Amino acid sequence: MSLVRAYLAGLRHGWFVLGYTLCVCLTLLITAPFLMIALRSVGKGWFGRLWLPPQLTWDWYRWAIEVGNIPEVMKNTLIIGAIAVIVSTIIGIFAGWAFGRRQMPGKELLMAVVLLPRMIPPITYALGVAKIFYGLELVDTHLGVALAHVSVCAPYAILVLSATFEGLDERVLEAASVCGANTIKRFFYVVLPLIMPGILASMIFSFTHSYNEFTLTLLTYGPNTVTLPVRTYLAVGDGYWEITSAMAVIMVVPSLVILAMIQRRAKPEKLVGGFKGV
Amino acid sequence: MADAMIEFRDVTKRYAALVANDHLSLTIRRGELMTLLGPSGCGKTTALRCLTGMNHPDEGWIFLDGTDVTDVPTHQRELGMVFQNFALFPHMTVADNVGFPLMIRSRPKDERAKLVTEALRLVRLEGYAGHFPRQLSGGQQQRVGLARALVYRPKVLLLDEPLSNLDAKLREEMRFEIKEVVTRLGITAMYVTHDQAEALALSDRVAIMNRGRLQQLGTPEEIYESPNSRFVAEFIGLSNFLDGRVDAVRGETMTVATSGLAIQTTLLPGVTSGQKVLLFLRPNEIELLPAGAGSDVNVFSARVEKATYLGDTMDYRLVLGNEADLRVQTDARHRYAAGESVRVRLPRVRSWAVKEE
Repeated sequence: MSLVRAYLAGLRHGWFVLGYTLCVCLTLLITAPFLMIALRSVGKGWFGRLWLPPQLTWDWYRWAIEVGNIPEVMKNTLIIGAIAVIVSTIIGIFAGWAFGRRQMPGKELLMAVVLLPRMIPPITYALGVAKIFYGLELVDTHLGVALAHVSVCAPYAILVLSATFEGLDERVLEAASVCGANTIKRFFYVVLPLIMPGILASMIFSFTHSYNEFTLTLLTYGPNTVTLPVRTYLAVGDGYWEITSAMAVIMVVPSLVILAMIQRRAKPEKLVGGFKGV
Repeated sequence: MADAMIEFRDVTKRYAALVANDHLSLTIRRGELMTLLGPSGCGKTTALRCLTGMNHPDEGWIFLDGTDVTDVPTHQRELGMVFQNFALFPHMTVADNVGFPLMIRSRPKDERAKLVTEALRLVRLEGYAGHFPRQLSGGQQQRVGLARALVYRPKVLLLDEPLSNLDAKLREEMRFEIKEVVTRLGITAMYVTHDQAEALALSDRVAIMNRGRLQQLGTPEEIYESPNSRFVAEFIGLSNFLDGRVDAVRGETMTVATSGLAIQTTLLPGVTSGQKVLLFLRPNEIELLPAGAGSDVNVFSARVEKATYLGDTMDYRLVLGNEADLRVQTDARHRYAAGESVRVRLPRVRSWAVKEE
């Protein structure tokens, strides 16, 4: 008996070791490309079969910032991101209200149309957007690139905010009306605070999508609207791997900042109350 | 009516083919606590929603304090309302919740603070001003709801099944609390519920609704003692029904033949021999006597089919006459066992005439 038990325990132990090994492998698999780029961006004389760079340096970052004109590019990226966030969230609030709270015919079909830009291959969609924007002279303007981004950001905003509005308790709104609040007061004092977590989520989603958007930017950007992903891509073409790596790392920084913000600040349970009863 | 506070005048509301309110006319007097009672789907909630303005009646008018408010939007009707699911604002503290109607009305800050404190004292929640709704128990949340509804002294207080999300013991406690607060403030209140015990305990008058219509209106006593229909009798309290036919009429009494028994009861006006009637007996208004008891008016032999001990009462199923079932509840001090023969005395038999098809 005890032999069987020992065998079983050993088996369990084996699974444990195997599980851990798999976890470590998976983690490495996910982080390896990033580690590679991070090392590249600070390594000097890292050629051939060396496992690690022989010397470390910050020079590539200086080069990236000066030659790559990163401050200007970052400014473009942030301006475009901000416009995309604002437009998408406003669209998201109105569309989310309609999708989340109204019964309307063809709701599913409409939702599918809204999600279409995300479903068809980005390059196909981007080509169409570029063609139209050339005609409207929106190419190489912050607004133009941002509007192109909205086509992929807005679906996320709409999805997130539809769910938020669906979760809004109709009777709480009725309570506000009975208490004497007209539509506008009701929106600002009750609806807005209650959907704030959704709005924040939608803004973060929109921003990260705009920030990371490559295909749509590539077909609508110009000398004045180079964004970080495009600038990094162009640097690859120039053939300086170290500088490109430094740019790639710089590009990651805001994403990490946002991640930290979400973890620290956004506590949705603080805003949406867990209720006793229903 | 001069002292009418709430008046439904001929209100009809349809949802597609369903008529939720069918020419409903109902008046609630100033300072009165009226309960709208009925099973789900009887139209009581629709009536309430018409009164709050959440629904617009298809026909008819609604008056509040003598003013036609049929077309007045909800936020201008000056109502206070307590919701079944509490419907507190989850992002506000208790004090902000209670102060919300005052804030909306732009009352000065110090007056607001004073009224909020007063309202919280009224519902015995003084120490909870800074709490959030999610930190309170169900009963406390509902008291916040009550304070929020009363804080600015609305013309009327509406209560929409306010106790149905609370557990049984708390429900009973809150019942008296609500009654006391409403009485103390002398506010006109409309209470919507499907719980007959609540309705009887709380109301000055009860309006029983059935299929969008007003079935009976009266004090709790009138409703319980003299229900005007089988529907009301079944809905309020326990009841036995026996179908019968009038056999003989003598003076003020009539004899009704039912299941081989001849039961005597008060003559219904305009009833003659041969008329079909429905007899109605409350289980607690029937007496059980030992098998040897002598003959008398409305005393019959019966057999105990089932006896259930309920603590303070015994619940019996009896069979008498030609297999007529009768439910009886008596004091638990004298008990009869299943299978035992007994005599039943029916001191109080009510009846309604039944229309012949």
